[in-house]
Amino acid sequence: MNKRQIIHLFWRANFGLNIEELSKLELKSKSEILSELFLDSSENTDLKLDLNGLSEIENKSNKELKEKFTQAEINRLKKIGQKKVRELNYAWINRLKEPNNKLREKMALFWANVFVCRDNNQIFHIQQYNNILRKHALGDFRAFVKAIAKEPSMSKYLNNRQNIKQKPNENFARELMELFTLGIGNYSEQDIKEAARAFTGWSFDEKGNFKLRKNQHDFGLKTFLGKTGYFDGEDIIDIILEQRQCAKFICTKIYTYFINPIIDEKRLEEITEVFFKDYDISNLMKYIFSSNWFYNEENIGVKIKSPIELLIGIQKIVPVKFNKKKQFTYLQKMMGQTLLYPENVSGWKGGRNWIDSNTLMFRMKLASLILNDAIINLEEKGEFEASFDAYYKKLKKKNKFIKTTKNWELFQSKYKNLKPKELTDLLIVSKINKDTEDFLNNLEKKSNKDFCVQLMSIPEYQLC
Amino acid sequence: MKRRDFIKQSSLASSLFFAPNFIKEFENLSKQSSQIKKLVIIQLSGGNDGLNTIIPYTNDIYYKNRPKLAIPKNNLIKVTDDLGFHENLAHLKNIYDQGYLSIINNVGYPNPNRSHFRSTDIWQTASNSDEYFNTGWIGRYIEKFGKAPYSGIELDDSLSLIMKGENINGIATKNPRTLFNNTKTPFFNKVIKQQTDAHLSEHNLGYLYKTMIEAKSSAKYIYETSKTYTSKFQYPNNPFGKQLKTTSEFINSNLESKVYYVSMGGFDTHANQSNRQSRLLKTYSESLEVFIDDLKQNDTFKDTLILTFSEFGRRVQQNAAGGTDHGAANNVFIIGENLKKKGFYNTSPNLLNLDKNGDLIHSIDFRSIYATILEKWLEVDDISILNKSFQKLDFI
Repeated sequence: MNKRQIIHLFWRANFGLNIEELSKLELKSKSEILSELFLDSSENTDLKLDLNGLSEIENKSNKELKEKFTQAEINRLKKIGQKKVRELNYAWINRLKEPNNKLREKMALFWANVFVCRDNNQIFHIQQYNNILRKHALGDFRAFVKAIAKEPSMSKYLNNRQNIKQKPNENFARELMELFTLGIGNYSEQDIKEAARAFTGWSFDEKGNFKLRKNQHDFGLKTFLGKTGYFDGEDIIDIILEQRQCAKFICTKIYTYFINPIIDEKRLEEITEVFFKDYDISNLMKYIFSSNWFYNEENIGVKIKSPIELLIGIQKIVPVKFNKKKQFTYLQKMMGQTLLYPENVSGWKGGRNWIDSNTLMFRMKLASLILNDAIINLEEKGEFEASFDAYYKKLKKKNKFIKTTKNWELFQSKYKNLKPKELTDLLIVSKINKDTEDFLNNLEKKSNKDFCVQLMSIPEYQLC
Repeated sequence: MKRRDFIKQSSLASSLFFAPNFIKEFENLSKQSSQIKKLVIIQLSGGNDGLNTIIPYTNDIYYKNRPKLAIPKNNLIKVTDDLGFHENLAHLKNIYDQGYLSIINNVGYPNPNRSHFRSTDIWQTASNSDEYFNTGWIGRYIEKFGKAPYSGIELDDSLSLIMKGENINGIATKNPRTLFNNTKTPFFNKVIKQQTDAHLSEHNLGYLYKTMIEAKSSAKYIYETSKTYTSKFQYPNNPFGKQLKTTSEFINSNLESKVYYVSMGGFDTHANQSNRQSRLLKTYSESLEVFIDDLKQNDTFKDTLILTFSEFGRRVQQNAAGGTDHGAANNVFIIGENLKKKGFYNTSPNLLNLDKNGDLIHSIDFRSIYATILEKWLEVDDISILNKSFQKLDFI
């Protein structure tokens, strides 16, 4: 593989790579690179916050809590729990920056936007849910769907806990099919009703383990997607997976996330075939990354980065520590993607939906904001830009910048001697607009530090 | 052309001096829509329970289907012999009493879809339930009859489908100053000035450049115009109140924007509906009344029409969790100073004749409302935006 192909692979399988990683990989063959990539992600490590301060509420039902604590104390503990969810957001993003488990973490992030779930109050549940995504990220899709259906956070989020024989609640059954497995139009309203019956009584105990409340479960005969039987929730999931449409639906998501926002129907059929055979996620990803067409020029640098990809990608090159966690949340919010806080169960639409005038200007400003006190240097050959100085003089006085500690020293030691073209090739995978290229060529390149911020501030850097 | 308009248009032209052609090419500049009329669209996202908003308090079927959830007769604001407002809609009742409100019952579309996302798309794109459009009806309006991307503004950090056109989108901004400051960055100005139009066709990359140029030309205008008016009214301290406040500042500073879109979330009440919906309706009606007062004070209410919709209503029968599941037809509110038909536009929902899911059946297609607004309020050709002809109503 050439440099460009390696960078392409690692943008899709992770969040780009730094110069050191690239130089090591350059010496290896494609099969070596791929087997290392999968080996690196073969073991799962849970992400766990220190929740000692909350041990007194862990594994306690609401009833028990009310017996033990006053309402004021419960409210206080709830507040701490909510704060911990925000900490989990920070810990998760830090995890994404780590040099190991690259593919698994990228996949977990992908699945978080398939099996969308939100639980702001119960840190134990949402942390467990988050780790389920990680655990199954490269595993058996069938086991994965069954696992998320049994998770407390999901049960609460889509009201499955309130789904009982006497009065089925359709919310989970509907979203399971519409958003998680089949896509709209591939089942009837009647199928939803029947599936909802099969999930009645599904609940969880105080330890967060799945529990079937037998007296709330409808053990009767159900007819679902043309089959009739005494189905329970797991049977429903099995029947869903028998539909080729399920494999196609997931592969469509995989295609637009990992390959290209514009779908080539022939390739989609090809990977659907692979996935439908065994629903093995790892096999599917191996197939994609091993294929020659994945490295075709038409698939490189054409995807709009998600805010998280943008945020992590910058930090792969220049390590950054956020001194105020609140500001870190603010950045995510401004760009429309706060991990653990999806707006609704359909998740982030992605692609061009990340971009409008407001978010784009913010995203283009992001690198300078976290790396360089919001300054993007601008000095063209043979020209002195007076307005530029005046602009930043005024700005410096009033702007409160995002408080970060950035490791430019590390950058300097590794990137100092790179030629402009080398740095450009590493940072920009998209084709560069001709006019912008001329403009970049005409910039006075005083240091690679300045040039790095400049490159990260052109529209092309928004693509991967 | 009036002198004032001429100056406005020429200053606009000069701000677009370096913008590539696609920005300047607004198709029907000659067929411009009404200069002063504004439209504010409010979406109650999640599917507001219309039956517990405007309550059929003499209907036994309503009470039978909702033993826990029905609003008792003595706990609502009666307005007609058979319909009453939720008790937290006192502010809306004031609006109603002044003749500024027209409630259209039973609004929906054939073969209703019960997914939030799909049904929201249908309402926002004005498609049939089996059609998939990638542009919104306001996006198409901006493209065909607007002057610039800022002809439509969404009061949010990011843009919804309703505001997206084929080549030109509306602007999303909660805070025009932030947007303006970001576009002022000298580096970006240089990148934009460099563009010669010839290289902007690349797929996603072209889209990014286009968006950047649109942002640049609109942000300055929105910020510099809207900063001339600051609202002194006390809006309720919540995101919806803030959005309406910013909207009033945009309208009252005579921004040329024609359509504003505000979304208020939280209406998906599958469980424990009572408290939640009460709170939301209170927020909605309180903020709305301040908004109207603000506009009236500035003499802009007469030129503003407010449309409130939700992507669907909820099932007539309550569920087991003290909530309701996704339904179909629902009520729509039209607010304005000179309505032709004040109060209730049509008859109450028919609870005897439900569809096979137990949901209300629509009698008015939502696109009839859009068509009416386009033709009679914004004064443009509705068919060119909705792609079909819909029967017009006479609420304005």
